[in-house]
Amino acid sequence: MSFEAKTEQFEGPLDLMLHLISEHKLDIMDLDMEVLADQYLLHLRQMEEHHLEIESDYLVELATLIEYKSRKMLPKRTEENEEEEDPKDVLVRRLLEYQRYKEASQALYENYRSRQDHFAKPMSDLEEPKEESGTTRGNAYDLLKAMSKVLRRVQLSRPMETSLTKRELTLEDRRLQILSRLESLPESFTFDTVIDDCEDLFECVVSLLAVLDLIKDHYLVFSVDESDTIHLQKGVNYA
Amino acid sequence: MREEVIVRELSAEQRCALNNSRVRPVEQIRTVNKQAVTEGLLYIVGEDGLKEEQLAAVLEVGEDEALALLHEIRVKYDDEAYGIELVNYGGRYKFVSKADIYPYAQKLFHNYKPDTLSPSALETLAIIAYKQPITRIEIEELRGVGCEVMLRKLLTRNLIREAGRSEAPGRPILYEVTEEFMDSFELVSLEELPDLPKYDEENQSLFD
Repeated sequence: MSFEAKTEQFEGPLDLMLHLISEHKLDIMDLDMEVLADQYLLHLRQMEEHHLEIESDYLVELATLIEYKSRKMLPKRTEENEEEEDPKDVLVRRLLEYQRYKEASQALYENYRSRQDHFAKPMSDLEEPKEESGTTRGNAYDLLKAMSKVLRRVQLSRPMETSLTKRELTLEDRRLQILSRLESLPESFTFDTVIDDCEDLFECVVSLLAVLDLIKDHYLVFSVDESDTIHLQKGVNYA
Repeated sequence: MREEVIVRELSAEQRCALNNSRVRPVEQIRTVNKQAVTEGLLYIVGEDGLKEEQLAAVLEVGEDEALALLHEIRVKYDDEAYGIELVNYGGRYKFVSKADIYPYAQKLFHNYKPDTLSPSALETLAIIAYKQPITRIEIEELRGVGCEVMLRKLLTRNLIREAGRSEAPGRPILYEVTEEFMDSFELVSLEELPDLPKYDEENQSLFD
């Protein structure tokens, strides 16, 4: 038995079908649905053998292919379904349409690549500090988005690695550190204040986890404003 | 003669103040080098960028003149003597470092890792950019896979945003690309996107 290591990644059932069509030199304009259905099924079986998880999206399309195949096997009923579009045409149209966007996305990738060679500076901070309304706004995704900005800033502001010694900072330690600092902090402060003693990215991440923990335990409440700044306030459990 | 030039550059309000010499502040009669002001403003706005109309409003000039000023700066910085250049992404002008600087930046920031986008993310973005505003279901029909998680990720990365709701049953959310998207893909506007490839009976070069 030959072992074929399939490393190719498909972005979905349509992507897989396009691959099979090209691999088996099928004519997309006159698609042999039976060959496609067989090859598709074969591929899914191979995935199964390799213990790869088959996503449900692939099964949905498999059902379409099998339905088409089984319908072909049944004796043709009289033209009662004249009106209905041939499922083969529907599939071909979808494949062609999908192929267009796949190619467009490859062209877009070139732009994305080229953009990464250029860097810009963040805007100068000229805005007046705003009064906080004190309500918790924003969901976990807002917080993530804001955090990614913080991390980027930390990374840019500490470009050079200066030390090789690794300070171990546990989540529990950091939580206690922040709790003890709370006393000296004003009613409302930003996440940047919390991490201003952090030496590296690792400590910032630990700080975020500690802050999340404190939010969960109602020692802190958070809000995220339009400029993705994370604001923190003392919560009900902090007496 | 000189006085006349100065007066033309001031707003009606300032001209009024100029006539009334008692309240005329000294600063107002200084001539400004608009190109220098533009350059300074571009420095301040950084990655957020400056729009033509913003510049026109601040300098109190027409948009044509604002555009001309930006163009002059762009040409000036194109010169290889400069390490930064002026770009226009999504109608926002901003200074960015030139591509030639990149290898040196990499040496400076040695654990810098560029952002990546998966092929699935790119496909989803391409579909939204070409067909916006578009619902999740429409995207899923085109891609043949569920996109809920992907859309969430793209929203978090600020590459897409919600754009109201469709009139279709259930009033599903519509999505469109953001200015961050325009920046990430070096686009001035969506019209700049290349035409989608076309396939028909005559053009069977699909897999060439």
